[in-house]
Amino acid sequence: MRLSRMAAEGVQGLGINKLRTFFMMAGTIVGVAALVVIMAIGKGTEKRIMKRVRNFGPRAMMVIAGGGKDLPPPDMNVTTLTLEDAEAIRSQIDGLAIVSPMAWRFQMNVKHEANQYQAIVWGVEPSWHEAWQWYPAAGEGIADEDVATMARVCVIGRTIQRELFGDRDPTGERIYINNVALSVKGVLENRGSSPIGTDFDNKVILPITTAMRRVMNIDYVGAIRLITEDPKRMAEQAAAVRRLIHQRHRINPSEEDDFRIITADVIAQLARGTSRTLSLLLIVLAALSLTVGGVVLMNILLISVAERRPEIGLRRAVGATQRDIFVQFLTESLAVTVLGLALGSLLGLGLSVALPRLTPIQAIPSWEPLLLASACALLIGTFFGVQPARRAAKLHPVDALR
Amino acid sequence: MMESESAMIELENIEKTYAAGTVTTPVLQAITFHVDRGEYVAIMGASGAGKSTLMNILGCLDKPTGGQYRLDRIDVVNLDDEELSHLRNEKIGFVFQQFHLLQRTTALKNVMLPLIYVEDYPDDAVERAESALAAVGLADRMTYRPGELSGGQQQRVAIARALVTDPEIILADEPTGNLDSRSGLEVLAIFQRLNRQGRTIVLVTHDEAVAEHAQRVIVLKDGTVAEDRRVSRPRDAEQETNQDEKGRA
Ligand SMILES: Nc1ncnc2c1ncn2[C@@H]1O[C@H](COP(=O)(O)OP(=O)(O)OP(=O)(O)O)[C@@H](O)[C@H]1O
Ligand SMILES: [Mg+2]
Repeated sequence: MRLSRMAAEGVQGLGINKLRTFFMMAGTIVGVAALVVIMAIGKGTEKRIMKRVRNFGPRAMMVIAGGGKDLPPPDMNVTTLTLEDAEAIRSQIDGLAIVSPMAWRFQMNVKHEANQYQAIVWGVEPSWHEAWQWYPAAGEGIADEDVATMARVCVIGRTIQRELFGDRDPTGERIYINNVALSVKGVLENRGSSPIGTDFDNKVILPITTAMRRVMNIDYVGAIRLITEDPKRMAEQAAAVRRLIHQRHRINPSEEDDFRIITADVIAQLARGTSRTLSLLLIVLAALSLTVGGVVLMNILLISVAERRPEIGLRRAVGATQRDIFVQFLTESLAVTVLGLALGSLLGLGLSVALPRLTPIQAIPSWEPLLLASACALLIGTFFGVQPARRAAKLHPVDALR
Repeated sequence: MMESESAMIELENIEKTYAAGTVTTPVLQAITFHVDRGEYVAIMGASGAGKSTLMNILGCLDKPTGGQYRLDRIDVVNLDDEELSHLRNEKIGFVFQQFHLLQRTTALKNVMLPLIYVEDYPDDAVERAESALAAVGLADRMTYRPGELSGGQQQRVAIARALVTDPEIILADEPTGNLDSRSGLEVLAIFQRLNRQGRTIVLVTHDEAVAEHAQRVIVLKDGTVAEDRRVSRPRDAEQETNQDEKGRA
């Protein structure tokens, strides 16, 4: 077919001047690579968000002592969140499956014989296990009776078990926190650590009464975890909880809150945070390099048409029609962008694989962005290739041969 | 217009005027002549006489501003750009002073170039190009690039390219202009051989000695035909080459 012969001539044009071909491709390479990386980061971020939300609990909300907008930990100086607040939420907000208050202390010294370790200590109600979906792997969890009797018992995380007992079974053994002797009831399931390195297993949980009265000597809690029965009602319930606590803490609308409510949505927003600005930056880079690259491509093609006038004249003389010349030069432009597309895709995929290894940025390479990138590249190759191709085609053979 | 069965080129009152703004330059005026099938014609004239302009019109690369031109009994003046392109491909082989070879392409690929513009690409394109190269004595240089060939060899590649489509007529504008005398004679010998095989040839030159290899000389002066004469005894380029060799030995 005549058309495919002309196209083949165009593709051969790539080899004429390799450096020039590279410059023609540069914009496409960068633009396509950026597109691929954007999509990979987007996917990586989504996955991280899903994981965070799953860790936090898709049906969970937290009322946390202290104002601001950040994630836990609670503000230890804020003493206004109480067990009575938790009781009020339980009795006045409907549709909540679990209301579980928690007292918190960080960096408490936990001792067993000669061994000691700095742990996070939680005072919890029995519903804590269900609220966090976190159960004992060995022994037993915190029970109603323990809370009622202010029992001197605890359940320890895997890290504490390892640090204080090594390989031994700790059940029934005694540990000391603030000189209070506690008997180990069980060991929690292994949860590992967060992406930023927080060790989830470095904890000891006690009955909330024991924690508040015997160990920490406080009359307030750090947080109340709520589990909704219906995730669709979460926003509405969060608002109701906020109103209730405003009322109980006598906070005017003009005053700053002394608590904050974290929901799965807030977690997702926070997790999205920086990756969104990064993606925006990359989108700008992609758009910029694709258009600048397109303009560069067009100008190099125009120069190339001027340089190759004798060739064009010769082709016209031996029988090329204007259309033949047009097809040849347009194909050359398209071939350049397709090659740029291929190289850019490889670069983008490479970066998507390398990024998570070298930086904290999550990225999951996939093939879908290649579709978008192909569309962009072909569009650019056509759009910016038409004018040079037309100029080549319109050259008068006699002028071209002169 | 007079018609003749054997006429390959029929020019009647051809005019060419270049207009740049208000200034018009008449370059060709009332050019009338015929070239018969199988003739070998040289067009001569001083620099600026309009030889190349006429050649471009003969080669259907440019249109006259007036007059009639029939090539192989086809009325060229009324054809559009695409039809002219096909006509060039089918009927005309060009040889230029500057060879106009594609530099990064082998001799064989250069010779094959006109074939890709043939409507039905021939299956035997490679064989045709090979035999065209063999016909100009370059069977052993097929894979050479222009940069690896002498000027004379490059011009012979260009002649092979002009031959590959088996055109009715070969148009050569100063084909020996960039060559030393020996290479020039080789080219002229090839033209004479092609002409003996029946090919129509029109050659432009300002060199009397070159023109004398043709059977007929048309001299242009100030855009008109000043002279149109037969060459009683055309020079034989092959013989001259041999004599040249003997002289050197
Ligand atoms: N595009 C053009 N515009 C204006 N004038 C032109 C153009 N092309 C050629 N001419 C003029 O036409 C005249 C004939 O030019 P042409 O190239 O045909 O001469 P020539 O006989 O081939 O000369 P030479 O032996 O130097 O090649 C010249 O005076 C030239 O300036
Ligand atoms: Mg000339």
